[in-house]
Amino acid sequence: MIELKDITKSFQNGTIRTDVLKGVTLHVQRGEFVAIMGSSGNGKTTLMNILGCMLKASGGSYRLDGADIETLDDDQLSEIRNKKIGFVFQVFNLLDGTSALDNVLLPLIYADEYPSDARKRAVQLLESVGLGDRIHYKPSELSGGQHQRVAIARALVNEPAIILADEPTGNLDSASSEEIMNIFKRLRSQDKTIVLITHSADDAGYAGRTVFLRDGKIYEKEAPK
Amino acid sequence: MKAMKIIGVSSKSILKHKMRTFLIELAIMVGIATLTVVVSLTQGANKLIMKRVQNFGPDAIMVHSGGGKMRGPSTAEQANLTRKDISDIENINGVKFASPFQVELDMPLKHGNKFTTAWVMGVEPDWQDAWRRGAAKGEFISTSDNEQLSRVCVIGTTTAKDLFGKVNPIGENILINNVSFKVIGILERRGQSPAGTDFDNLILIPFTTASRRLMNQPRYTSMLRVIIADPAKAKHIAGDIRDVLRENHRLASTEEDDFRISTAEQVTKMIKSTSKTLGIFLWLIAVISPLVGGIVLMNIMLMAVAERKREIGLRRAMGAKKRHIIFQFLSESVILTFSGGILGVGVGVIIAVFIRHLGKPISITWLPFAIAFVFCVLIGLFFGVYPAKKAGNVDAVQALNQ
Repeated sequence: MIELKDITKSFQNGTIRTDVLKGVTLHVQRGEFVAIMGSSGNGKTTLMNILGCMLKASGGSYRLDGADIETLDDDQLSEIRNKKIGFVFQVFNLLDGTSALDNVLLPLIYADEYPSDARKRAVQLLESVGLGDRIHYKPSELSGGQHQRVAIARALVNEPAIILADEPTGNLDSASSEEIMNIFKRLRSQDKTIVLITHSADDAGYAGRTVFLRDGKIYEKEAPK
Repeated sequence: MKAMKIIGVSSKSILKHKMRTFLIELAIMVGIATLTVVVSLTQGANKLIMKRVQNFGPDAIMVHSGGGKMRGPSTAEQANLTRKDISDIENINGVKFASPFQVELDMPLKHGNKFTTAWVMGVEPDWQDAWRRGAAKGEFISTSDNEQLSRVCVIGTTTAKDLFGKVNPIGENILINNVSFKVIGILERRGQSPAGTDFDNLILIPFTTASRRLMNQPRYTSMLRVIIADPAKAKHIAGDIRDVLRENHRLASTEEDDFRISTAEQVTKMIKSTSKTLGIFLWLIAVISPLVGGIVLMNIMLMAVAERKREIGLRRAMGAKKRHIIFQFLSESVILTFSGGILGVGVGVIIAVFIRHLGKPISITWLPFAIAFVFCVLIGLFFGVYPAKKAGNVDAVQALNQ
């Protein structure tokens, strides 16, 4: 599903060049739940952005669900993001003043064809994350954990090949974190491919495999079951 | 379908950001209201001018005694046109006939205890053909009135109202400069002259009576209205009249004309030149104020783009292409200017109706609306493109990591 090979990424800031990723190689199989762990400043977010086709790598190759990402242009990357990727962010990134339902429907606006059952699908997803009775609530009327559940429903609405979650519990209390991680666990049992970036060992414990990002490189190690 | 969805996103955002929407709509509204009012005013003024020129008559050439650059009619005192001048002019090719008349401005009139002043013209019966205007009631001045130096008059409606109120003036006697005249008819209404004077505050008496009894000008004629067959040849015939008069008056080539000739075209030009400066100024305001509205739009939209970077980043992450973002912001601009424009046109019409109630000439037609709508969309597009492009170029990664 995901094949990263020798991915490098450096940023040029004036004359200073920073190498953030120094040859990341990672394979993720269909239906796998992989956690990428690392402390901050190790290039987690950069790796996430590359995986999410938001950022192009400086070197190496990236294949996602058969597509050669490095050769695609901006519009094609947008399409990939729209069709194959579901994002879950640390800060939720819901649109204010917009109902939970409309937030979930957001990715479908940009789909090639607006599905006729879009609304039904969104309602079902909100029900599946336990917000069936709050589909018309606005973000200001929802708690942090509920925000993230809306965001997960949004990530699923376009039936993506992979779900990328960047510190999804970073802004949540432990009870909400557990709820969210249980949703991911359930998704895994539904054969979704999930990549979770986290610095929390508890969260990583829900994944089937954990890899470690240190100094711009990936170190594989079987996570304890 | 996708476009409709994005327009839906734009509309929601417009409804959501009420203050921003209000400010932009206000700016555009003021601009477009100004535009519609100015266009309506200009059209109204032009219509009035055209009507006045129509009153002058496109097939008429006026010959005034006395040269110089004076405006208005020449009085009997200045008269210097001879009988020979008149017959020579009538012999010019293309001239149908020439109707001479004597003029005295603002002569004192009296009836009973009422006083007023009016222009008094001494005329012959062909005045009716020359001005396409006769007696609406009663009789007009006849040839026998002229032969007998009769003291009869035909009076304009304004004068009649001033002297008689609602009483029928026909058969009554009035004093013109203390000479008694019998009213035999009422003149058809005509409105204003090209220069803006009231054509209905007028008294017509026989030409001979005017020359000999009232104005003491038995030899010369003060004015001449020449009717030509083809209005297109007015300029050419005016030139011929000038040649005839210069020769008859024995003017050396260094001397200036001792008469003035005016055609409908010249009159139009004269009036237009006086209203031109004002017109240009008004148009400038009319065009500038929607532009200012556009600049306000651009400013606020740029702020909106800066404020909504995270939203843009999110939409990009969810698969929006650059052009979707550009389209979203551009359609916000266009919807805002369009609705601001509708409000502006509405306010403009209200102002225009108000101005019309004040009695000023203003024309309310579809043209200003059309101009305003086109202008609105153009402003929305022109001033919306830059902020929209800026929105499209927002770095999604940076925006999301803010």
